[in-house]
Amino acid sequence: MTDTRRALRDLSPVIALALIWGAFALVSPEFLSPRNLSMLVIELSTTALLALGMLLVILPGHIDLSVGSGVGLIGGIASVLVFHHGWPAPLAMLLGFVVAVAVWTAMGAVVVKQKMPAFIITLGGLLVFKGLFWLVIRNATVPVAPGGTTNLYSMLTTYYLPPAAGLTLALLCAGAFARLRWSAERRSAADRGEPADGERVFLECFAAAQGLLLFVLIMNRFRGVPLPVVILAAATTGVVVLTRRTRFGRYLYAIGGNEEAAIMSGVPVERVVIGAYAIMGAVVALTGYLQTAYSGASTTTVGDLMELDAVAACVIGGTSLKGGRGTAVGVLFGALIMASLLNGMTLLAVSPEYKLIVRGLVLALAVWLDTRLARDS
Amino acid sequence: MSAPPLLSAREITKRFPGVTALSGVSFDLRPGEIHALCGENGAGKSTLIKLLSGLHPHGSYEGELTVGGRPARFASVRDAEKAGIAVICQELALVPEMSAAENIFLGAEPVSRGLIDWDRVRRESKTLLERFGVALDAEAPTRELGTGQRQLVEIVKALRKDTRVLILDEPTAALTETETAALMAILKDLRARGIACIYISHRLEEVFALADRITVLRDGATVATLDAAAATRQDVIRHMVGREIRDLFPRRAGKRGEALLRVLGLDVAPAAGRPAFLRDVSFEVRAGEVLGFGGLMGAGRTELLMHLFGAWGRRLGGEVELLGRPLPPTTPQRALERGLALVSEDRRRYGLVLDQSVGFNLSLSSLAKLSSGALIDETREHAANAVQFKSLRVKASGLSTRVGGLSGGNQQKVVLGRALMAAPRVIFLDEPTRGIDVGAKLEVYEIVNALTDAGHAVVLVSSELPELMGMSDRILMLHDGRVAGEFAKAEATQERLLAAAMGHARA
Repeated sequence: MTDTRRALRDLSPVIALALIWGAFALVSPEFLSPRNLSMLVIELSTTALLALGMLLVILPGHIDLSVGSGVGLIGGIASVLVFHHGWPAPLAMLLGFVVAVAVWTAMGAVVVKQKMPAFIITLGGLLVFKGLFWLVIRNATVPVAPGGTTNLYSMLTTYYLPPAAGLTLALLCAGAFARLRWSAERRSAADRGEPADGERVFLECFAAAQGLLLFVLIMNRFRGVPLPVVILAAATTGVVVLTRRTRFGRYLYAIGGNEEAAIMSGVPVERVVIGAYAIMGAVVALTGYLQTAYSGASTTTVGDLMELDAVAACVIGGTSLKGGRGTAVGVLFGALIMASLLNGMTLLAVSPEYKLIVRGLVLALAVWLDTRLARDS
Repeated sequence: MSAPPLLSAREITKRFPGVTALSGVSFDLRPGEIHALCGENGAGKSTLIKLLSGLHPHGSYEGELTVGGRPARFASVRDAEKAGIAVICQELALVPEMSAAENIFLGAEPVSRGLIDWDRVRRESKTLLERFGVALDAEAPTRELGTGQRQLVEIVKALRKDTRVLILDEPTAALTETETAALMAILKDLRARGIACIYISHRLEEVFALADRITVLRDGATVATLDAAAATRQDVIRHMVGREIRDLFPRRAGKRGEALLRVLGLDVAPAAGRPAFLRDVSFEVRAGEVLGFGGLMGAGRTELLMHLFGAWGRRLGGEVELLGRPLPPTTPQRALERGLALVSEDRRRYGLVLDQSVGFNLSLSSLAKLSSGALIDETREHAANAVQFKSLRVKASGLSTRVGGLSGGNQQKVVLGRALMAAPRVIFLDEPTRGIDVGAKLEVYEIVNALTDAGHAVVLVSSELPELMGMSDRILMLHDGRVAGEFAKAEATQERLLAAAMGHARA
């Protein structure tokens, strides 16, 4: 692959994002308002969370089509426990977590141990979970909090950090980023046999800090940094560390790159893949709570098609569906593109039919670009 | 030089971004000759073939190709095929689910009244196979055939077309001695029929047994074209590496210690409920010793190593003892922890994550040791990688280079490096020098010496008898899943080893 092609592949999400934002901003100035950006980042949080979980499943060459239904189901279980049975929200959510992790571990075990195609098993999961969801909520609307009250569940998407807390957090994040970036630079410089490029690292960190600061200032002009963004930031950090710094993460790439070689290198392939599904379960539960809280209640359509947005975000962000390639930051970009498209189209009052068509075309386009640009690598 | 060359290349220069792969290479092929192309990996052999076969189209290189004296401008592989040039690649291009007959006629199925005439396909492919003396079931799916047989199917497929030039790239890399002999007989027969052949091989004994002329490439340039009858192996090697190599197998026998691995009466089946394939296998390997395993393809050498390493088969009976403790049926992960490592014969399939970096591949088996708590200690990892990288002299720009882009020899070093980093006491090397060049082979042999000097035990599987005899301290021959003979270094001769491999003699 030539350098220009590689650069084009790496940069294409950024270029796409700039184009999308530019277009929406031109057509509707409201798009870039603090209020809309605030909503956009909340919507981004659910898409991106699920996509980060999906990344962990796609990296070893698997897929999970059941997550959209799972989002509805787990959110629904918690809603019913809170609204109909009067459980405290934290306890209901904890139970949902346990159920989700158990179910996804079991699903992963079936895929791995019985050597079944993940595509089929999770497609089955999509239908089963959807049916269970409707049974659990009895096809009705179940609010996340009893009328007029708030609880931890409902606050997931209605709580905003106070301005000062947002700024402090941004500074802490910038500091952490600078530290990681510097140690990475030192290692890669040692590998190249050159002195570390402190100037470049400083500039990068400075730019990142400015971006973060700008983001917090814009958010503060509305209600502050939304809680889902904080959750997403924590999850992203978690996935970055997991994929880059842990054995588990290395093994995901090794399995996706060449499963047989991974086995022969002593990688516990089955355990790692089942682990990826288990984490997916936890992510599904978390996304379920956020998505349900954002709608205010469990309704029969919560979570619909979210599995496809998650897969699309991964692919747009440079994740290979064959496994072995993909990064958390790329996925974040992919999710931002998907969320921006949906948000912008809602803002312009595009009818649902066309929204579906655009989502489908964007997904196809991303895969096409991916295969074209990767062809001779 | 009376007859005009069948195929000739004049002053060919081919540049890739950043590299000149060929510079001013000239080469010609006379009608009905076998012309061997020799050179180390990266010398430009593959590039030259790709040019001759139309894979690098006309216009992407400088210089001129002629076929039968007329300029040839291949825009694609199809053009080259039309001119009568066919390539048999290292990676075989058969559809595994189709039968040999279907593969031979793939893309040119005879049609009768709009439908494929399967009777004709079967009849004619049988005739073709018989004509070239290939004995195999034309109707079985090719995935069930051995590598050697699949290769022969490809050659027959190429010859079905009107092929005048056959290019073979490392055709015997995966073949056993018998299959190699069969292939060589077929090529000689083709030569008698006037079909010319460009033959690429790292195995010089084959080159000398077969070739009329030998062209040596080094660093993208033609170094010499020799008459095979008048040249010696030493000449060719000297031209290839640019210096003199005295000892092809520099084995230094070390001090033998206690037995590190003991296998007693081992019976192993491919899967539960199947009859045993490995039967009553017993052997031991001592510290400081190289135990060689020979045998024909399918004799069970690879399966034996893979089973002990925990990657193949189901144990029906027998005992295995590693470093004095029993080794029950295991997994590669456990085997590595217990001090047993394996370097597979198929490095692209079982060895490397090709899309990842050199460093990623080197440390993959040792990450537990290189972690503190849940996190990989990247500083320590980098240091450990750098040690292997330097001591194995991997030719790559750095640890972050993608491993898939390295030459075969350097890829093999990375696989070896990963096994070594796991600090094994017993190391299995399955065809460790397959498809790598003379220089890299010598480096692998030096690693073997270093391992035994350090008191480790090495089990070496090789299909090349000279290598097996040259590098092993003791040789076991397998035949049909059983030990068919044991030979001390001094008593091993090619004839005795082959007889044992064929199951004719018990030593």
